[in-house]
Amino acid sequence: MIELQQVTKRFGNTLAADAIDLRINQGEFCVLVGTSGCGKSTTLRMINRLIPHSSGLLTIEGQEISQLDEQQLRRRIGYAIQSTGLFPHWPVARNISLVPRLLGWSEARVTERVEELLELLNLPYAEFAHKYPSELSGGQAQRVGVARALAGDPDILLMDEPFGALDPITRETLQNELLRIQRKIHKTLVFVTHDMDEALKLASQIVVMDQGKIIQQASPAELLLNPANDFVAQLLGGEDRGLKQAGLLRVAERMLPLPGPNSLDQAPAIQLHDSLRQALSIMLWHQCQQLRVYEGDSLVGYLPLDRIIRADSHV
Amino acid sequence: MSNRKRLLFWGLPLFWGMCLFLATLGLPWLEELFRQIAPGHRQVIYSRDSFALLLGNHLLLVGLAALISISLGLASAVFVTRPYGRDFLPLVTQVASMGQTFPPVAVLALAVPLLGFGALPTIMALSLYGLLPIVRNTLVGIHSIDPALLESARGMGMSPLQVLWQVEMPLAANIIIGGIRTSVTINIATAAIGSTIGATTLGDPVISGLVNGNTAYVLQGAILIGLLAVTADSCLDRLQQWVSPRMDSRT
Amino acid sequence: MNILPTDRVMPVLSCASLLSFWSLDFLSFQPNRIVPGTGFSADAALGWPWAFCMTALLLFIIAASFTRLRYRHAVQLVCLILLLLQLPLGLAGFSSVQVPDTLPHARTGIASGFWLLLFFAALMLIELQQKMHLSRLKILILLMLPLICLFWVYHTGQIESLALVREYTARSSQFQDALRVHLLLVCGAVGISLLSGFLLVSLMRQWPFIQKFIFGLLNFVQTIPSLALFGLLIAPLGYLASRSEFLQSINVSGIGWAPALIALVAYSLLPISRNIFIALEEVPYAVLESARGMGMSRVQVFLHVRLPLAMPVILEGVRITSIQAIGLTAVAALIGAGGLGSFIFQGLGQAAMDMILLGALPILVMALLADLLFSGLAGLFRNGAKQ
Repeated sequence: MIELQQVTKRFGNTLAADAIDLRINQGEFCVLVGTSGCGKSTTLRMINRLIPHSSGLLTIEGQEISQLDEQQLRRRIGYAIQSTGLFPHWPVARNISLVPRLLGWSEARVTERVEELLELLNLPYAEFAHKYPSELSGGQAQRVGVARALAGDPDILLMDEPFGALDPITRETLQNELLRIQRKIHKTLVFVTHDMDEALKLASQIVVMDQGKIIQQASPAELLLNPANDFVAQLLGGEDRGLKQAGLLRVAERMLPLPGPNSLDQAPAIQLHDSLRQALSIMLWHQCQQLRVYEGDSLVGYLPLDRIIRADSHV
Repeated sequence: MSNRKRLLFWGLPLFWGMCLFLATLGLPWLEELFRQIAPGHRQVIYSRDSFALLLGNHLLLVGLAALISISLGLASAVFVTRPYGRDFLPLVTQVASMGQTFPPVAVLALAVPLLGFGALPTIMALSLYGLLPIVRNTLVGIHSIDPALLESARGMGMSPLQVLWQVEMPLAANIIIGGIRTSVTINIATAAIGSTIGATTLGDPVISGLVNGNTAYVLQGAILIGLLAVTADSCLDRLQQWVSPRMDSRT
Repeated sequence: MNILPTDRVMPVLSCASLLSFWSLDFLSFQPNRIVPGTGFSADAALGWPWAFCMTALLLFIIAASFTRLRYRHAVQLVCLILLLLQLPLGLAGFSSVQVPDTLPHARTGIASGFWLLLFFAALMLIELQQKMHLSRLKILILLMLPLICLFWVYHTGQIESLALVREYTARSSQFQDALRVHLLLVCGAVGISLLSGFLLVSLMRQWPFIQKFIFGLLNFVQTIPSLALFGLLIAPLGYLASRSEFLQSINVSGIGWAPALIALVAYSLLPISRNIFIALEEVPYAVLESARGMGMSRVQVFLHVRLPLAMPVILEGVRITSIQAIGLTAVAALIGAGGLGSFIFQGLGQAAMDMILLGALPILVMALLADLLFSGLAGLFRNGAKQ
């Protein structure tokens, strides 16, 4: 658990972080979001002491981090940044093994770990282990960056706009993989982005920051329902909010059990774990008002348009 | 690298090294040839000291000076790029670039009033002057590294010393060796002039030949100095390529 | 309350100055040219009050570093200039006290403490220039104060007993000759290599395949030490001169100005042509394209677009070349080319330290002035391009 109490960072006369109070629980995916210069990166870097905080308490598992050894602390915390920070003179495998080696793992365990991580990130060992960062595409390099951050098996992972420089398709793939990995390994993630869609998609907890202060701290659904002020509402995209909210809800939550109406035979299909936003999009495209819901190959229910709009509607 | 490739890679320095070796031992055998060049001189082969001794001494002077300037140069460049020495960075940068406007001969000459004649002042002057290109290039090398790279190295939990040795030095190595190359090339030339302030170097035959009007002596000294410079330069050129960090798995 | 100095450079340099000022000999006295001199510490040479005044200036510089005053660097700069002003005055004072008119051969000399103080003062000046973001020209104008003071004490004969001045007075016509020869050789070499540099580059642009060969060759020449190159030229030039009436008539021989000029040009060609080449290649293609698109002829494009844009880099080449040539010309004195180097090598031969200084100091000054001149010119062109 990471806890910030009245944490403040002063650079000369400017307050980069102004009395931040924040609690990030074990296994949580916390996304700090805001415009550039709002203090989100500063807050992230204070957690691994790349930037020392000026005042306040910043504890990890109850220990004030300024009391801990700087390097030991950082080896326990994974760190990935937008420009990847991969060492250009080391091959991929050596880059990933950096923290395990710093932690003094045995050679066999290091190799095993590198293989395991490359597999986890869908990079075949034989093909990638010996390549140099200059030979990787942006997406591949970022995967290696994530693998390197995970290598020491840290409890906490800090990520500073890791997908910011990627094209939309690669970004989405990597977001999905990060979610998959998070579900698998349950790390505490602190993630910085300026992209609200990314935040809504990834986070279990969103922290909106502006001018060094926390404006609102809520789950994605709560944030969409009750933005604290106009600034948050604007960040949420104004009139697109409804669609964004639909993007957070699963078909499974609104599906009705079989048997449905007779006209169901011609209805298009959708998967159980897809979002309501996708369901709506399919309906608009096919100009229909209901969908057949599948789990894998088997038909499990149906979804009428009314149920997307209102949860309490009964057909 | 296979043996054959390695041989090809080091071929040029090896060739020049062989030429230098043969010339050092073989020049006395060419007495007839030199007699044509300096007719009217009873002695046409420089014999106050053997060429091997002169070469050895020259190398010793340059080597010692290089050792001093490399260690001092690296140390000071590293010092001013650490947080505790950063105050001195602008001054050192400026001095390292301005100092190179001073002609090496003038520095050598000014060493005499301050330190006297002989090998020691020569070494002092050489190492002082040789310091500048090394400091300058080390600073350029370290500053050419992406700051995000260094931040991520620290963020991973590397100690400052680990960052220096495993990241900064390897990535700057190419440029640093470039500085050492400049420094050594200048020092080989300046050490030859060190003959005039009483150091025994390959400049001796040249100076003595100029004083006595014996062109053969001048030529012998000049050939050996030239070969030494070319050998050292090609060696360092290859070294520079050799230490350049590999950033590509294709060979 | 933070009592640490806001920067540590000035206090460190100032302390070093104080240390050398008090622990080493400041000035020296010789009854005549042959007898070794006796050293005088600062307080003995200048007297207690004066020495304490100079100490006070240095202490003031240290103290200013500990304040948070906005103008502390300016205060330090004023102190430094005041300190530098004391140096020529101190020399004059020392001379007037130590050297009575009855000793026409007595000499006063500058000792290590003085030199080190001057060195550290120069470092402080550089540091302040960086801190205050002053241009080099402004620093030079400020330095005019102590320099004018130096000239004044020299002109009024107050430091005629200074060894360097005595050495100069004894050889003033020789010195002027040497200076002229030195400048002629440097200017000749730079001029010739500038012209041939343009020629070489236009050849290389015509036939790109010779580019690698020419640069390889020039690089190779650059590697060969000056003493060796001068030496290697003696035999062939001597041979040619002995065969040709014409060469003899223009005073060419194995030694003298001819091998010196040839070697100087050979060394200068690499930096000059490399910079010309890079400068002309690096002019953005779009700029040239649009110039041509507006109907400029090839010659107009070259003269009005390509050349002005390339000028800063070319001038940088001229700067490197002239500094290099100034130093190499000194070495050329060994093969009888004359110039200021002849004082250095004569002085080394006779163990006459002041004669070495008489040769080496003007060479240093010349190199610094060339650096200042050409980097200033390059800056001018760069600013012109910005506007």
